[in-house]
Amino acid sequence: MFNLIKRDVIIQKKQLLLFVPFIVFFILMDAHPVLIFLVVSLYVPFNALAFDEKTNVNVLLNSLPYTRKQIIASRYLGTIVYMAASIGVAIISLTLAHQSFTVTHVALSVGLFLLFSAMTFPLFYVLKPGYIFPIVMLSFFLFVGGGPALLRLMDDSLQGLIQFVMDLPMTTLLTGFLAVAIILYSISWAVSSVVYERKAF
Amino acid sequence: MEPVIEFTNVTKQFKGFAVENMDLQVNKGFVTGFIGANGAGKSTTIKLMMNLLRPDEGEVRVFGLDYATHEKAIKERIGFVYDGNVFYEGMNLKDIQRIVGPAYRHWDGALFRQYAEQFELPLNKAVKTFSKGMQMKASLALALSHQAELIIMDEPTAGLDPIFRRELLDLLQDIMLDGERTIFFSTHITSDLDRIADYIAFIKKGKLMFNQSIHEVAENYGLVRGSLELLDRDTEKLFVHVDRTASGFEALTSDVRKTEDVFGEAAVIERASLEDIMYFTNRSDVQHV
Repeated sequence: MFNLIKRDVIIQKKQLLLFVPFIVFFILMDAHPVLIFLVVSLYVPFNALAFDEKTNVNVLLNSLPYTRKQIIASRYLGTIVYMAASIGVAIISLTLAHQSFTVTHVALSVGLFLLFSAMTFPLFYVLKPGYIFPIVMLSFFLFVGGGPALLRLMDDSLQGLIQFVMDLPMTTLLTGFLAVAIILYSISWAVSSVVYERKAF
Repeated sequence: MEPVIEFTNVTKQFKGFAVENMDLQVNKGFVTGFIGANGAGKSTTIKLMMNLLRPDEGEVRVFGLDYATHEKAIKERIGFVYDGNVFYEGMNLKDIQRIVGPAYRHWDGALFRQYAEQFELPLNKAVKTFSKGMQMKASLALALSHQAELIIMDEPTAGLDPIFRRELLDLLQDIMLDGERTIFFSTHITSDLDRIADYIAFIKKGKLMFNQSIHEVAENYGLVRGSLELLDRDTEKLFVHVDRTASGFEALTSDVRKTEDVFGEAAVIERASLEDIMYFTNRSDVQHV
Protein backbone atom coordinates (compact mmCIF):
# COMPACT_ATOMS: atom_id res chain seq x y z
CA MET A 1 0.00 0.00 0.00
CA PHE A 2 2.79 2.38 0.95
CA ASN A 3 4.44 1.48 -2.38
CA LEU A 4 1.33 2.45 -4.26
CA ILE A 5 1.30 5.83 -2.53
CA LYS A 6 5.00 6.30 -3.23
CA ARG A 7 4.29 5.59 -6.91
CA ASP A 8 2.67 9.05 -7.30
CA VAL A 9 5.99 10.70 -6.51
CA ILE A 10 8.10 8.36 -8.65
CA ILE A 11 6.02 8.96 -11.78
CA GLN A 12 6.20 12.74 -11.49
CA LYS A 13 9.60 13.39 -10.02
CA LYS A 14 10.42 15.80 -12.86
CA GLN A 15 7.21 17.73 -12.27
CA LEU A 16 8.03 17.89 -8.58
CA LEU A 17 11.05 20.02 -9.36
CA LEU A 18 8.57 22.69 -10.42
CA PHE A 19 6.60 22.42 -7.21
CA VAL A 20 8.45 25.12 -5.25
CA PRO A 21 8.63 27.56 -8.20
CA PHE A 22 4.88 26.93 -8.57
CA ILE A 23 4.29 28.08 -4.97
CA VAL A 24 6.68 31.01 -5.37
CA PHE A 25 4.76 32.11 -8.47
CA PHE A 26 1.49 32.24 -6.54
CA ILE A 27 3.13 34.07 -3.65
CA LEU A 28 4.63 36.63 -6.04
CA MET A 29 1.24 37.06 -7.69
CA ASP A 30 -0.01 37.93 -4.22
CA ALA A 31 -2.66 35.22 -4.42
CA HIS A 32 -5.02 34.69 -1.51
CA PRO A 33 -3.64 32.09 0.96
CA VAL A 34 -6.79 29.96 0.54
CA LEU A 35 -6.13 29.77 -3.21
CA ILE A 36 -2.45 28.95 -2.62
CA PHE A 37 -3.24 26.11 -0.20
CA LEU A 38 -5.90 24.80 -2.58
CA VAL A 39 -3.75 24.73 -5.72
CA VAL A 40 -0.69 23.25 -4.01
CA SER A 41 -2.90 20.46 -2.65
CA LEU A 42 -4.21 19.73 -6.14
CA TYR A 43 -0.71 19.53 -7.61
CA VAL A 44 0.48 15.98 -6.77
CA PRO A 45 -2.78 13.98 -6.82
CA PHE A 46 -4.15 15.47 -10.03
CA ASN A 47 -0.81 15.32 -11.80
CA ALA A 48 -0.67 11.62 -10.88
CA LEU A 49 -4.18 11.06 -12.21
CA ALA A 50 -3.28 12.83 -15.45
CA PHE A 51 -0.28 10.47 -15.81
CA ASP A 52 -2.41 7.42 -15.08
CA GLU A 53 -4.95 8.49 -17.67
CA LYS A 54 -2.33 8.55 -20.41
CA THR A 55 -1.24 4.93 -20.02
CA ASN A 56 -2.85 1.59 -19.59
CA VAL A 57 -1.70 1.69 -16.01
CA ASN A 58 -4.69 -0.16 -14.59
CA VAL A 59 -3.57 -3.30 -16.41
CA LEU A 60 -0.12 -2.96 -14.86
CA LEU A 61 -1.40 -2.28 -11.33
CA ASN A 62 -3.94 -5.08 -11.47
CA SER A 63 -1.39 -7.62 -12.58
CA LEU A 64 0.77 -6.79 -9.56
CA PRO A 65 -0.05 -8.36 -6.19
CA TYR A 66 -2.51 -5.68 -5.10
CA THR A 67 -6.24 -5.91 -4.62
CA ARG A 68 -8.52 -3.43 -6.33
CA LYS A 69 -9.58 -2.11 -2.94
CA GLN A 70 -5.95 -1.34 -2.12
CA ILE A 71 -5.44 0.51 -5.39
CA ILE A 72 -8.38 2.79 -4.64
CA ALA A 73 -7.45 3.15 -0.97
CA SER A 74 -3.95 4.25 -1.95
CA ARG A 75 -5.44 6.98 -4.13
CA TYR A 76 -7.65 8.35 -1.35
CA LEU A 77 -5.12 7.98 1.46
CA GLY A 78 -2.22 9.15 -0.70
CA THR A 79 -4.16 12.28 -1.58
CA ILE A 80 -4.48 13.16 2.11
CA VAL A 81 -0.78 12.49 2.70
CA TYR A 82 0.29 14.65 -0.27
CA MET A 83 -2.20 17.35 0.63
CA ALA A 84 -0.72 17.55 4.14
CA ALA A 85 2.85 17.60 2.82
CA SER A 86 2.03 20.21 0.15
CA ILE A 87 0.30 22.48 2.62
CA GLY A 88 3.31 22.06 4.92
CA VAL A 89 5.64 23.26 2.17
CA ALA A 90 3.27 26.13 1.37
CA ILE A 91 3.18 27.17 5.03
CA ILE A 92 6.99 27.23 5.16
CA SER A 93 7.15 29.19 1.91
CA LEU A 94 4.58 31.73 3.06
CA THR A 95 6.36 32.14 6.39
CA LEU A 96 9.71 32.68 4.66
CA ALA A 97 8.06 35.22 2.37
CA HIS A 98 6.55 37.00 5.41
CA GLN A 99 3.04 36.53 4.09
CA SER A 100 0.26 36.29 6.62
CA PHE A 101 -2.26 33.49 6.75
CA THR A 102 -4.52 31.93 9.37
CA VAL A 103 -5.59 28.48 10.47
CA THR A 104 -9.00 29.34 9.02
CA HIS A 105 -7.41 29.73 5.59
CA VAL A 106 -5.84 26.28 5.88
CA ALA A 107 -9.05 24.66 7.10
CA LEU A 108 -11.10 26.30 4.37
CA SER A 109 -8.71 25.12 1.62
CA VAL A 110 -8.60 21.60 3.04
CA GLY A 111 -12.40 21.48 2.99
CA LEU A 112 -12.60 22.85 -0.57
CA PHE A 113 -9.88 20.48 -1.76
CA LEU A 114 -11.59 17.44 -0.23
CA LEU A 115 -14.90 18.48 -1.79
CA PHE A 116 -13.38 18.90 -5.23
CA SER A 117 -11.47 15.60 -4.97
CA ALA A 118 -14.56 13.81 -3.70
CA MET A 119 -16.49 14.93 -6.75
CA THR A 120 -13.83 14.31 -9.39
CA PHE A 121 -12.01 11.10 -8.30
CA PRO A 122 -14.89 8.72 -9.10
CA LEU A 123 -15.00 10.20 -12.62
CA PHE A 124 -11.55 8.78 -13.25
CA TYR A 125 -12.91 5.32 -12.58
CA VAL A 126 -16.29 5.73 -14.25
CA LEU A 127 -15.37 7.50 -17.47
CA LYS A 128 -13.22 6.23 -20.28
CA PRO A 129 -9.68 7.62 -20.41
CA GLY A 130 -9.46 10.61 -22.70
CA TYR A 131 -12.85 12.03 -21.72
CA ILE A 132 -11.97 12.70 -18.13
CA PHE A 133 -9.89 15.83 -18.30
CA PRO A 134 -12.34 17.89 -20.41
CA ILE A 135 -15.20 16.82 -18.15
CA VAL A 136 -13.30 17.69 -15.00
CA MET A 137 -12.50 21.13 -16.48
CA LEU A 138 -16.10 21.67 -17.48
CA SER A 139 -17.43 20.64 -14.09
CA PHE A 140 -14.89 22.93 -12.43
CA PHE A 141 -16.18 25.91 -14.44
CA LEU A 142 -19.79 24.94 -13.81
CA PHE A 143 -18.98 24.61 -10.12
CA VAL A 144 -17.24 27.99 -9.94
CA GLY A 145 -19.49 29.84 -12.39
CA GLY A 146 -22.82 28.15 -11.84
CA GLY A 147 -22.67 27.68 -8.08
CA PRO A 148 -23.10 31.33 -7.06
CA ALA A 149 -25.74 31.88 -9.76
CA LEU A 150 -27.70 28.93 -8.44
CA LEU A 151 -27.43 30.29 -4.94
CA ARG A 152 -28.76 33.68 -6.08
CA LEU A 153 -31.64 31.94 -7.81
CA MET A 154 -32.56 30.10 -4.67
CA ASP A 155 -31.88 33.17 -2.57
CA ASP A 156 -35.45 33.65 -1.41
CA SER A 157 -36.19 30.11 -0.41
CA LEU A 158 -32.78 29.72 1.21
CA GLN A 159 -32.91 33.06 3.00
CA GLY A 160 -33.81 31.48 6.33
CA LEU A 161 -31.12 28.81 6.06
CA ILE A 162 -28.44 31.27 4.96
CA GLN A 163 -29.34 33.57 7.85
CA PHE A 164 -29.09 30.65 10.23
CA VAL A 165 -25.71 29.61 8.87
CA MET A 166 -24.37 33.16 8.90
CA ASP A 167 -25.33 33.53 12.55
CA LEU A 168 -23.18 30.53 13.52
CA PRO A 169 -19.80 31.24 15.06
CA MET A 170 -16.87 30.92 12.63
CA THR A 171 -15.37 27.83 14.32
CA THR A 172 -18.69 25.96 14.27
CA LEU A 173 -19.13 26.91 10.63
CA LEU A 174 -15.66 25.70 9.68
CA THR A 175 -15.92 22.50 11.69
CA GLY A 176 -19.29 21.75 10.08
CA PHE A 177 -17.88 22.47 6.62
CA LEU A 178 -14.87 20.22 7.22
CA ALA A 179 -17.09 17.47 8.60
CA VAL A 180 -19.31 17.61 5.51
CA ALA A 181 -16.21 17.56 3.25
CA ILE A 182 -14.78 14.53 5.08
CA ILE A 183 -18.10 12.68 4.90
CA LEU A 184 -18.41 13.37 1.16
CA TYR A 185 -14.78 12.31 0.64
CA SER A 186 -15.50 9.02 2.42
CA ILE A 187 -18.64 8.45 0.34
CA SER A 188 -16.63 9.19 -2.78
CA TRP A 189 -14.04 6.59 -1.67
CA ALA A 190 -16.76 3.98 -1.24
CA VAL A 191 -18.28 4.82 -4.63
CA SER A 192 -14.90 4.60 -6.41
CA SER A 193 -14.19 1.28 -4.69
CA VAL A 194 -17.47 -0.23 -5.88
CA VAL A 195 -17.01 1.10 -9.41
CA TYR A 196 -13.39 -0.08 -9.65
CA GLU A 197 -14.25 -3.48 -8.21
CA ARG A 198 -16.61 -4.09 -11.17
CA LYS A 199 -14.38 -2.63 -13.84
CA ALA A 200 -13.08 -4.68 -16.76
CA PHE A 201 -9.59 -3.97 -18.05
CA MET B 1 -1.11 -34.11 -13.32
CA GLU B 2 -1.30 -31.00 -11.22
CA PRO B 3 -3.21 -28.12 -12.83
CA VAL B 4 -1.87 -24.61 -12.21
CA ILE B 5 -4.78 -22.87 -13.91
CA GLU B 6 -8.24 -24.33 -13.80
CA PHE B 7 -11.31 -22.93 -15.56
CA THR B 8 -14.56 -24.62 -14.66
CA ASN B 9 -17.50 -23.80 -16.89
CA VAL B 10 -16.38 -20.18 -17.32
CA THR B 11 -18.62 -17.84 -19.26
CA LYS B 12 -18.00 -14.18 -20.01
CA GLN B 13 -20.42 -12.29 -22.21
CA PHE B 14 -19.77 -9.17 -24.26
CA LYS B 15 -21.84 -7.43 -26.88
CA GLY B 16 -21.60 -9.69 -29.92
CA PHE B 17 -18.97 -11.98 -28.40
CA ALA B 18 -18.72 -14.46 -25.57
CA VAL B 19 -16.36 -16.95 -24.03
CA GLU B 20 -18.74 -19.78 -23.24
CA ASN B 21 -18.66 -22.69 -20.80
CA MET B 22 -14.91 -22.96 -20.93
CA ASP B 23 -13.22 -25.81 -19.10
CA LEU B 24 -9.48 -25.45 -19.30
CA GLN B 25 -6.60 -26.95 -17.35
CA VAL B 26 -3.04 -25.73 -17.65
CA ASN B 27 -0.60 -28.29 -16.30
CA LYS B 28 2.27 -27.53 -13.99
CA GLY B 29 5.81 -27.69 -15.33
CA PHE B 30 4.86 -27.44 -19.01
CA VAL B 31 4.59 -24.88 -21.77
CA THR B 32 1.08 -24.45 -23.09
CA GLY B 33 0.61 -22.57 -26.33
CA PHE B 34 -2.74 -20.91 -26.79
CA ILE B 35 -3.78 -20.52 -30.40
CA GLY B 36 -6.74 -19.13 -32.24
CA ALA B 37 -7.59 -16.61 -34.92
CA ASN B 38 -7.73 -12.89 -34.21
CA GLY B 39 -10.79 -12.15 -32.12
CA ALA B 40 -11.25 -15.79 -31.07
CA GLY B 41 -11.04 -14.86 -27.38
CA LYS B 42 -7.37 -15.38 -26.53
CA SER B 43 -6.90 -12.04 -24.78
CA THR B 44 -10.23 -12.37 -23.01
CA THR B 45 -9.21 -15.78 -21.67
CA ILE B 46 -5.86 -14.41 -20.50
CA LYS B 47 -7.58 -11.47 -18.81
CA LEU B 48 -9.86 -13.92 -17.02
CA MET B 49 -6.76 -15.78 -15.81
CA MET B 50 -5.30 -12.54 -14.49
CA ASN B 51 -8.58 -11.39 -12.91
CA LEU B 52 -8.51 -8.31 -15.13
CA LEU B 53 -11.93 -9.56 -16.16
CA ARG B 54 -14.31 -11.48 -13.96
CA PRO B 55 -16.37 -14.36 -15.25
CA ASP B 56 -20.15 -13.97 -15.41
CA GLU B 57 -20.42 -17.64 -14.52
CA GLY B 58 -18.07 -20.45 -13.56
CA GLU B 59 -14.86 -20.45 -11.60
CA VAL B 60 -11.24 -19.55 -12.25
CA ARG B 61 -8.66 -21.06 -9.90
CA VAL B 62 -4.92 -20.46 -10.08
CA PHE B 63 -2.55 -22.58 -7.95
CA GLY B 64 -5.75 -24.12 -6.59
CA LEU B 65 -6.76 -20.75 -5.11
CA ASP B 66 -9.64 -18.49 -6.00
CA TYR B 67 -9.28 -14.79 -6.74
CA ALA B 68 -12.03 -13.65 -4.39
CA THR B 69 -9.99 -14.54 -1.30
CA HIS B 70 -6.41 -15.03 -2.51
CA GLU B 71 -5.86 -12.38 -5.19
CA LYS B 72 -2.56 -11.14 -3.75
CA ALA B 73 -1.15 -14.60 -3.05
CA ILE B 74 -1.93 -15.66 -6.62
CA LYS B 75 -0.47 -12.60 -8.30
CA GLU B 76 2.64 -12.81 -6.16
CA ARG B 77 3.42 -16.05 -8.02
CA ILE B 78 2.52 -14.92 -11.57
CA GLY B 79 4.72 -13.07 -14.01
CA PHE B 80 2.58 -11.36 -16.63
CA VAL B 81 3.99 -10.24 -19.96
CA TYR B 82 1.72 -7.69 -21.52
CA ASP B 83 0.49 -7.26 -25.04
CA GLY B 84 1.43 -3.64 -25.67
CA ASN B 85 2.98 -1.07 -23.45
CA VAL B 86 1.42 -0.59 -20.06
CA PHE B 87 4.26 1.40 -18.58
CA TYR B 88 4.42 5.14 -18.14
CA GLU B 89 5.95 6.17 -21.42
CA GLY B 90 8.27 8.89 -20.25
CA MET B 91 9.75 6.73 -17.52
CA ASN B 92 12.92 4.69 -17.67
CA LEU B 93 13.31 1.09 -16.54
CA LYS B 94 15.00 2.06 -13.30
CA ASP B 95 11.92 4.00 -12.21
CA ILE B 96 9.56 1.32 -13.46
CA GLN B 97 11.53 -1.16 -11.37
CA ARG B 98 10.99 1.14 -8.37
CA ILE B 99 7.25 0.82 -8.89
CA VAL B 100 7.02 -2.86 -9.80
CA GLY B 101 9.77 -4.30 -7.55
CA PRO B 102 8.47 -3.38 -4.09
CA ALA B 103 5.08 -4.86 -4.97
CA TYR B 104 6.57 -8.36 -4.77
CA ARG B 105 7.84 -10.06 -1.66
CA HIS B 106 10.38 -12.11 -3.63
CA TRP B 107 11.68 -9.32 -5.84
CA ASP B 108 15.33 -9.83 -6.76
CA GLY B 109 16.89 -6.55 -7.87
CA ALA B 110 20.21 -8.20 -8.77
CA LEU B 111 18.42 -10.73 -10.97
CA PHE B 112 16.55 -7.92 -12.69
CA ARG B 113 19.78 -6.08 -13.46
CA GLN B 114 21.21 -9.35 -14.75
CA TYR B 115 18.28 -9.81 -17.14
CA ALA B 116 18.46 -6.16 -18.19
CA GLU B 117 22.10 -6.72 -19.06
CA GLN B 118 21.42 -10.00 -20.82
CA PHE B 119 18.61 -8.43 -22.89
CA GLU B 120 20.74 -5.33 -23.51
CA LEU B 121 18.12 -3.04 -22.01
CA PRO B 122 19.21 0.48 -21.08
CA LEU B 123 18.06 1.31 -17.54
CA ASN B 124 18.17 5.07 -17.92
CA LYS B 125 16.44 5.51 -21.24
CA ALA B 126 12.73 6.33 -21.54
CA VAL B 127 10.65 3.25 -22.34
CA LYS B 128 8.87 5.11 -25.13
CA THR B 129 12.10 5.05 -27.15
CA PHE B 130 12.15 1.21 -26.96
CA SER B 131 11.30 -0.90 -29.98
CA LYS B 132 8.48 -3.41 -29.71
CA GLY B 133 11.01 -6.18 -29.07
CA MET B 134 12.74 -4.20 -26.33
CA GLN B 135 9.42 -3.43 -24.65
CA MET B 136 8.65 -7.11 -24.67
CA LYS B 137 12.06 -7.90 -23.20
CA ALA B 138 11.52 -5.26 -20.51
CA SER B 139 8.19 -6.78 -19.63
CA LEU B 140 9.75 -10.24 -19.56
CA ALA B 141 12.67 -9.12 -17.39
CA LEU B 142 10.20 -7.72 -14.84
CA ALA B 143 8.13 -10.91 -14.97
CA LEU B 144 11.19 -13.12 -14.39
CA SER B 145 12.67 -11.14 -11.51
CA HIS B 146 10.33 -12.17 -8.74
CA GLN B 147 10.62 -15.94 -8.97
CA ALA B 148 7.26 -16.34 -10.65
CA GLU B 149 6.09 -19.92 -10.89
CA LEU B 150 3.65 -19.16 -13.68
CA ILE B 151 4.46 -16.94 -16.65
CA ILE B 152 1.48 -15.74 -18.65
CA MET B 153 2.17 -13.97 -21.93
CA ASP B 154 -0.27 -12.37 -24.33
CA GLU B 155 1.09 -12.56 -27.88
CA PRO B 156 4.75 -12.19 -26.85
CA THR B 157 6.12 -12.92 -30.30
CA ALA B 158 3.77 -10.67 -32.28
CA GLY B 159 5.65 -7.93 -34.08
CA LEU B 160 9.09 -9.36 -33.25
CA ASP B 161 11.74 -10.03 -35.84
CA PRO B 162 12.61 -13.71 -36.48
CA ILE B 163 15.99 -13.49 -34.75
CA PHE B 164 14.60 -12.14 -31.54
CA ARG B 165 11.69 -14.53 -31.71
CA ARG B 166 14.14 -17.41 -31.80
CA GLU B 167 16.15 -15.90 -28.92
CA LEU B 168 13.01 -15.48 -26.88
CA LEU B 169 11.96 -19.10 -27.42
CA ASP B 170 15.45 -20.30 -26.40
CA LEU B 171 15.23 -18.18 -23.30
CA LEU B 172 11.83 -19.58 -22.42
CA GLN B 173 13.27 -23.06 -22.82
CA ASP B 174 16.07 -22.15 -20.42
CA ILE B 175 13.74 -20.90 -17.72
CA MET B 176 11.72 -24.12 -17.99
CA LEU B 177 14.71 -26.29 -17.14
CA ASP B 178 14.09 -26.55 -13.41
CA GLY B 179 10.68 -28.12 -14.08
CA GLU B 180 8.98 -25.94 -11.49
CA ARG B 181 7.80 -23.26 -13.87
CA THR B 182 4.73 -23.19 -16.04
CA ILE B 183 4.33 -21.05 -19.13
CA PHE B 184 1.07 -20.17 -20.82
CA PHE B 185 1.24 -17.99 -23.88
CA SER B 186 -0.99 -16.96 -26.72
CA THR B 187 0.21 -16.67 -30.27
CA HIS B 188 -0.95 -16.99 -33.81
CA ILE B 189 2.53 -17.85 -35.07
CA THR B 190 2.24 -21.61 -34.93
CA SER B 191 5.90 -22.28 -35.72
CA ASP B 192 6.70 -20.89 -32.23
CA LEU B 193 4.78 -23.78 -30.75
CA ASP B 194 6.45 -26.59 -32.67
CA ARG B 195 9.61 -25.37 -31.05
CA ILE B 196 8.69 -25.18 -27.38
CA ALA B 197 5.08 -26.08 -26.57
CA ASP B 198 4.20 -29.24 -24.65
CA TYR B 199 0.46 -28.59 -24.86
CA ILE B 200 -1.69 -26.80 -27.38
CA ALA B 201 -4.97 -25.18 -26.45
CA PHE B 202 -7.05 -24.02 -29.37
CA ILE B 203 -9.87 -21.51 -29.11
CA LYS B 204 -12.37 -20.63 -31.77
CA LYS B 205 -15.11 -18.02 -31.40
CA GLY B 206 -14.92 -18.14 -27.63
CA LYS B 207 -15.05 -21.93 -27.43
CA LEU B 208 -12.16 -24.16 -26.48
CA MET B 209 -11.84 -26.65 -29.33
CA PHE B 210 -9.14 -28.77 -27.72
CA ASN B 211 -6.35 -28.77 -25.16
CA GLN B 212 -3.99 -31.63 -25.92
CA SER B 213 -0.33 -32.50 -25.65
CA ILE B 214 1.61 -31.80 -28.81
CA HIS B 215 2.06 -35.57 -29.26
CA GLU B 216 -1.65 -36.20 -29.02
CA VAL B 217 -2.28 -33.47 -31.56
CA ALA B 218 0.27 -35.06 -33.91
CA GLU B 219 -1.28 -38.51 -33.40
CA ASN B 220 -4.92 -37.52 -33.69
CA TYR B 221 -4.94 -34.94 -36.45
CA GLY B 222 -4.17 -35.71 -40.05
CA LEU B 223 -4.48 -34.16 -43.45
CA VAL B 224 -6.32 -36.48 -45.80
CA ARG B 225 -6.22 -36.35 -49.61
CA GLY B 226 -8.12 -38.51 -52.03
CA SER B 227 -10.49 -38.67 -54.94
CA LEU B 228 -14.01 -37.30 -54.66
CA GLU B 229 -15.63 -40.75 -54.99
CA LEU B 230 -14.43 -41.56 -51.47
CA LEU B 231 -16.71 -38.93 -50.01
CA ASP B 232 -20.21 -39.74 -48.87
CA ARG B 233 -22.38 -38.79 -45.93
CA ASP B 234 -20.72 -41.37 -43.66
CA THR B 235 -17.09 -40.81 -44.56
CA GLU B 236 -17.47 -37.03 -44.30
CA LYS B 237 -18.31 -37.48 -40.62
CA LEU B 238 -14.66 -38.33 -40.07
CA PHE B 239 -13.60 -34.85 -41.08
CA VAL B 240 -13.48 -31.53 -39.34
CA HIS B 241 -13.73 -29.83 -42.72
CA VAL B 242 -13.45 -30.88 -46.35
CA ASP B 243 -12.13 -28.78 -49.22
CA ARG B 244 -13.20 -30.04 -52.66
CA THR B 245 -11.41 -29.34 -55.91
CA ALA B 246 -11.87 -30.74 -59.43
CA SER B 247 -9.07 -33.22 -58.87
CA GLY B 248 -10.09 -34.45 -55.46
CA PHE B 249 -10.51 -33.45 -51.83
CA GLU B 250 -8.34 -32.34 -48.98
CA ALA B 251 -9.70 -32.67 -45.46
CA LEU B 252 -8.70 -32.55 -41.82
CA THR B 253 -9.49 -35.42 -39.52
CA SER B 254 -9.22 -35.46 -35.76
CA ASP B 255 -9.14 -39.26 -35.68
CA VAL B 256 -6.30 -40.50 -37.85
CA ARG B 257 -6.64 -44.17 -36.83
CA LYS B 258 -10.30 -44.47 -37.71
CA THR B 259 -9.72 -42.65 -40.99
CA GLU B 260 -6.97 -45.12 -41.85
CA ASP B 261 -9.30 -48.01 -41.07
CA VAL B 262 -12.03 -46.61 -43.29
CA PHE B 263 -9.97 -45.55 -46.30
CA GLY B 264 -7.01 -47.92 -46.13
CA GLU B 265 -4.70 -47.28 -49.05
CA ALA B 266 -7.34 -45.33 -51.00
CA ALA B 267 -6.48 -41.99 -49.36
CA VAL B 268 -3.20 -40.31 -48.48
CA ILE B 269 -2.93 -39.30 -44.84
CA GLU B 270 -0.21 -36.90 -43.78
CA ARG B 271 0.69 -35.21 -40.54
CA ALA B 272 -1.33 -32.01 -40.10
CA SER B 273 0.58 -28.91 -39.06
CA LEU B 274 -0.92 -26.63 -36.42
CA GLU B 275 -1.59 -24.17 -39.18
CA ASP B 276 -3.57 -26.82 -41.08
CA ILE B 277 -5.54 -27.56 -37.94
CA MET B 278 -6.29 -23.89 -37.34
CA TYR B 279 -7.18 -23.30 -40.98
CA PHE B 280 -9.54 -26.23 -41.37
CA THR B 281 -11.14 -25.85 -37.96
CA ASN B 282 -11.83 -22.18 -38.58
CA ARG B 283 -13.50 -23.05 -41.86
CA SER B 284 -15.49 -25.88 -40.36
CA ASP B 285 -18.68 -23.89 -39.87
CA VAL B 286 -18.61 -22.75 -43.50
CA GLN B 287 -19.49 -26.35 -44.26
CA HIS B 288 -22.44 -26.46 -41.90
CA VAL B 289 -24.06 -23.28 -43.18
